[in-house]
Amino acid sequence: MTYSAAALLGHAILGNKHWPAILNTPDMRSSYDVVIVGGGGHGLATAHYLAANHGITDVAVIEAAWIGGGNTARNTGIVRSDYLLNSSFRLKNFALGLWNDLSRQLNFNLMYEPRGYVDLAHSDDELERFTLRANAMRLRGAEAEILTGDALLARVPQLDLTGEKRFPVIGALAQEAGGVVRHDAVAWGFARSAASAGIHIIQNCPVTGFEITGGRLSAVRTALGRVACTRALITVAGASTALAEMAGLDLPLNSINVQALVTEPVNPVLDAVVNYNAGLCYASQTSKGEFVLGGATDGYTSYARRGNFGKIEDVLARALQIFPFLSRLRLMRHWAGTADITFDGNAIVGRTEVEGLMINAGWGYSGFKATPAAGWCLAELLGTGTLPELLVPFSLNRFETGSEQDDAGAGPYPWLH
Amino acid sequence: MTRLGRGGLIDRSSVLGFTFDDRPLTGHPGDTVASALLANGRCLVARSSKYHRPRGILSAGLEEPSALVTVTDATGSTPNLKVTEVPLRDGLKVNSQSAWTGLDRDAGTLLQLVSRALGAGFYYKTFIWPRNSWHRIAAPVIRRAAGRGRVDLSFDPSNYDKRRRHCDVLIVGGGAAGLSAAVTAGRAGATTILIEQDHVLGGALLSSRDNIDGLPAPDWVEEAETMLYALSNVTVMPRTLAFGHYDHGLVYAVETPHSDSVASAILWKIRARRILLAAGAIERPVVFPGNDRPGVMLAGAVRSYIRRFAVAPGKRAAVAVADPAERADTAAALNEAAIPVVAEILPGDRPSGTRGRLHLQGVRWRDATGRHHRTSCDLLCVSAGWTPTAHLFTHLGGRLEFSAETQSLLPSAETCGPLRPIGGARGVLIAADCVDDGKRGAHLAMAELGIHKSLKHGRSAPTPATKRGFESGRGSTFIDLQNDVTGADVALAQREGYRDVELIKRYTTLGMGTDQGKTSWTNCILEIASMTSRDPTEIGHATQRPPYSPVSIGALVGTETGSRMIPIRRTPFHRIFESLGCVFQTSGDWLYPRYFPQPGEDMAGAVERECAAVRSSLGCVDMSTLGKIDVQGRDASQFLSRLYCNDVETIKPGRLRYALMLREDGYVFDDGIVARLDENHYLVTATTANTSSVWRHMLKYAQVVWPDLDVALTQVTDHWSSLSIAGPNARNLLQALDPDFCCSRDEFPLAAVREGRLGGELPARVFSASYSGELSYEINTPSGFAETLFDRAVEAGAQWEICPYGLETLDVLRVEKGHIAPGTEIDGRRTPGDLGMAAMASTEKDFLGRTLLQRSALQAGGREQLVGLVPQDRKTPIPGGAHLSDQPVDRNGCAKTLGHLTATIKSPSLGHPIALAFLKDGIARSGDLLWAHSPVAGKSVRVQVTRNCAYDPKGTRLHV
Amino acid sequence: MLIPCPFCGHRDQAEFAYGGPARALPELDGQDGTHAWRTALYSGYNPRGPVTELWFHANGCESWIQITRDTVTHRITRSCLANPREREP
Repeated sequence: MTYSAAALLGHAILGNKHWPAILNTPDMRSSYDVVIVGGGGHGLATAHYLAANHGITDVAVIEAAWIGGGNTARNTGIVRSDYLLNSSFRLKNFALGLWNDLSRQLNFNLMYEPRGYVDLAHSDDELERFTLRANAMRLRGAEAEILTGDALLARVPQLDLTGEKRFPVIGALAQEAGGVVRHDAVAWGFARSAASAGIHIIQNCPVTGFEITGGRLSAVRTALGRVACTRALITVAGASTALAEMAGLDLPLNSINVQALVTEPVNPVLDAVVNYNAGLCYASQTSKGEFVLGGATDGYTSYARRGNFGKIEDVLARALQIFPFLSRLRLMRHWAGTADITFDGNAIVGRTEVEGLMINAGWGYSGFKATPAAGWCLAELLGTGTLPELLVPFSLNRFETGSEQDDAGAGPYPWLH
Repeated sequence: MTRLGRGGLIDRSSVLGFTFDDRPLTGHPGDTVASALLANGRCLVARSSKYHRPRGILSAGLEEPSALVTVTDATGSTPNLKVTEVPLRDGLKVNSQSAWTGLDRDAGTLLQLVSRALGAGFYYKTFIWPRNSWHRIAAPVIRRAAGRGRVDLSFDPSNYDKRRRHCDVLIVGGGAAGLSAAVTAGRAGATTILIEQDHVLGGALLSSRDNIDGLPAPDWVEEAETMLYALSNVTVMPRTLAFGHYDHGLVYAVETPHSDSVASAILWKIRARRILLAAGAIERPVVFPGNDRPGVMLAGAVRSYIRRFAVAPGKRAAVAVADPAERADTAAALNEAAIPVVAEILPGDRPSGTRGRLHLQGVRWRDATGRHHRTSCDLLCVSAGWTPTAHLFTHLGGRLEFSAETQSLLPSAETCGPLRPIGGARGVLIAADCVDDGKRGAHLAMAELGIHKSLKHGRSAPTPATKRGFESGRGSTFIDLQNDVTGADVALAQREGYRDVELIKRYTTLGMGTDQGKTSWTNCILEIASMTSRDPTEIGHATQRPPYSPVSIGALVGTETGSRMIPIRRTPFHRIFESLGCVFQTSGDWLYPRYFPQPGEDMAGAVERECAAVRSSLGCVDMSTLGKIDVQGRDASQFLSRLYCNDVETIKPGRLRYALMLREDGYVFDDGIVARLDENHYLVTATTANTSSVWRHMLKYAQVVWPDLDVALTQVTDHWSSLSIAGPNARNLLQALDPDFCCSRDEFPLAAVREGRLGGELPARVFSASYSGELSYEINTPSGFAETLFDRAVEAGAQWEICPYGLETLDVLRVEKGHIAPGTEIDGRRTPGDLGMAAMASTEKDFLGRTLLQRSALQAGGREQLVGLVPQDRKTPIPGGAHLSDQPVDRNGCAKTLGHLTATIKSPSLGHPIALAFLKDGIARSGDLLWAHSPVAGKSVRVQVTRNCAYDPKGTRLHV
Repeated sequence: MLIPCPFCGHRDQAEFAYGGPARALPELDGQDGTHAWRTALYSGYNPRGPVTELWFHANGCESWIQITRDTVTHRITRSCLANPREREP
């Protein structure tokens, strides 16, 4: 079943009674080639690329609740690749390339909108650091711009650069390929594609353990029974610690809440995704007209996945520095996701000490933008057994050797990243 | 006019004028915009967002899904307000906001013709090809088409504020249960706060004909209110919306004060030991084809408009109310307003459609025996049941469960943290039961708080509801009126595999509008249940998120706008610098002196002059923001020796040493000076940016990790102001400030500290330490003496033309010297070796970070190291933020890089540009020619690698 | 959150800086070396449920305190000074 405008009209004439399900409700088999634990964006993307790139379809994605229901559902949907560290940049920029054509690949409109990402600087020093980052991007083949004064105002006319500000805006780094993606659609699009290739997506099925014999994975135990497999991937974001523990692994990460909010919808005003750095607040306007805002983490371990209003107040105070008109809007909904943040703030992706068991964790709040790249690379690892070069810097054992990938330079304290 | 001749809680003696879509109308104090519009015979007030269907007023409260308008007053306009939530004020301009051409004739209705193709999630299935069609073509059209308010971009002159309160018992909701709880708690002596979103207390009682304690309900409300206002331990907060419940008894609320108040909205943070949630219940509409037509109104709202607002919302009414008592009460209310009831549609009947273009003209249905009926009417009062307003119960993870008994989602437990739902919020709907439940709730809370002993008190049961609901005919049945989500949409989501309620919500957008699904969620669950033949109890519900109803962002920010966003720290020299025309700059907490321009001078000119003054004669700079930590105790040496990687134990009293602090993982954390004032007394400095983290770190090790060490730490950053005098004449100035202060080169050498009184009176600590590379003394004096110190320095330094300089010059001087700074060179990823200070890491002692510094990747070759750069031609400026490469950029503008710049200046002292950079194997590349690429600046400059200290590398100027 | 400080009583979380889960650090002059430090520094201590952790009362008494807090419900069941020598028996 291909989605298209013609299909939409055809089905409308038939009363929309014959749309097929994007996923089936398969009975879980007793064994699979590959088991993916976690039906979020990353897990479903991995499933899709296993089928699409490697022809492997004897795969089960096992999800404790509903697909895309964790951080994919709670995401602000921003994609960009403005990183200084080469390892971070390459992975995210690879993802950005994939986002660009993903709707067509999946035959599912993910509403990727490259509206541009504008990161505001508040001092000459900061702008110089942004320049450093923009230059790094340019020299690696990505596009980036430094905007100041009228050029910045022309790019984001709604910005208020007048008046007395606690942290005045001096300039900005702009990445026009950055933008937003409809977060839920990512999970659905990947799920639909994987399911249509014959991959089993099993919802409401918590994993309860791993069977490991002689250091090798032999089965995954679930609420619906045992599944024999020699290859599995744990990709469960906020729940990483608990799942890794079942396999005897101690992951260097903490689960920390990240807050987000939306205002009531209004007619389109803001085109770009804007980031305010002094204390962190990012803002964009959705297709529905809501302003979506987010900020830094709560800064302490929590699985509560609920609002912490102090943080919301902080984020809004920053938003008003650049968009004072937001004071006239009303807060409609706020929520939190649990981000798994490692001891260098960067992801852990690759093999574990259990042979056959792979890990994809610790994405903190940069996981969404990397979704297709993570899926692509993990599918390669699971499918070919070879670790893709892009993943090499993100190994679990990098903390032993001291090869941290610390973009923020905040050190071994997840709550500061 | 449809205003009734008498009755109602409106003040007929006063007339308020307002406009709706520019037509002048009137109302009275006590009206909401909704009741005033209805009183003027206006029911069509909006168009739906997706299909542009005509929409009227469904409810009389915050649950209103349809009637959204833009309201303009003297302060500007606010979009998306529900007509039911805005108290009428004189001069309000009310405008409909979603119609393309006009409410009566909206071109957008053409969309209804293709509505089938625009079903749930249609946009996921199209605009896929060509690649940019969504972003370039479809999204802009859809974004503009979707009906919603316009944001007012003009300056918002309103005042907002934030305040706090705390109490024993907080009661959310001033209806039967809330009032009764407040009276009970107040009389028992508990500090009590009663919050009511409406501007009057009473809730549903205001339109009730019930008797409570022998009094008509409105009279009972008045009596309770009088009592509450008389109790000094009770605070009543009307016009205040409690919108969220957070950890440990914290409730956030927004008050919208009377229009004569200075603040247009106030955020309240209320910390309560117990919270009684008495927010009542929300009436559930009946789902049937054409149920969205203006004129279809919730029965409770009809009663409220008639009895509270004295408005007749129609002329001929049909009634479709599930509960028999409410059906009778609704009929009675209609009768009071002389509105004939032309038909009663009963549970089990199947409403099959409505008639009318812009307003309801008739309804048809099939009764349980299969007979078809139709009647003409302009008002259809609907009620399928009630949904408890338990939102605040769920904010902290309290779960709701569908109860077959009440046909609604009820709190699954009696408590969620300190919060207990009472009355309607737990499904108790009968007024007398609510009063009882309020009493019980208050007693229970007070017994728990030990305010009085526990009393035995029976618990009112949730009011059962008829299980037999209304059936629905075929056609467009609207479940979510705001987002135009129909039964067919929910069915489509089911069919397409979006089966979990959370997925249905996201796919159809049901409940995601500004009403957050208050009237639609229960109906959605029942629809799913009937479609899938499942028990509604198995279906679950989507998480309810705060705020309960949208709240003003202005209020949430309060006064923390503009320069008041967070407090600014100023140094003790600030005032005097201001008088010198200093240009300041914010960085983090601080406002720094940046440079001191002479008239007509720009920053570059000022910096060049300031640098020259320091290098040639004398300058002074404010160093007060540096962190200063006083360390005392028998084990002070030992303590510092563990924290810093270099040898600090051998510092003799009266001397100081530059020191480097590492994190536990071996990377450089901070640098500073360790000065030994006495055998067991040190003063150490931290960089401005890292002061609070260094302070925290030191206290942690003193208190938690090494409590056995005898050491006492005091942060004295604010206690001592610090003025650094630098330049060849620095010693002369110190001498001039106090001829008796022994400061000859031998008596007061480099890297020493002296305490005393300058001029015999000014208390001072003087550190001979240099950041600028010139002879330099940092003079610390208690902050109260800062201006005296500065005045004397300037006075005495006049003969050497002392020049105050700022942070810009400080930075230029340090780059010339190759000194590291936090944020640029100390970026959290560097080892001492990377910074050219490998030798500082002691091999003789143990210190924090030593072990993990030995990890292979930290010791491996090929790491980036700090180097200096000069342009090959000694002329071309090196662009800031450039990266280093041994190749020119290729055709695509790319190059493989070997490192990057951290700082670049045009050195006034050397007369040519220089830079600092991290370079892979940098030390070994000394002398190499490389490229410094800045594609952003469009520049590539040939540079030569040098050592990082470009100015006076031997340090001869310090030893004069 | 409302964090009980043994000196100052119940105070808003905004007054505190988080210090992470309480972890025993090896002696500086310990012979167990790199492995012990790695284990101590990079262990997750990231349970769903009660965890013992450090908070610094930055805008208060400047004590490091140790509390036991449930990471799901945020219920705090224990609070004492983190300094083992100043803890009540």
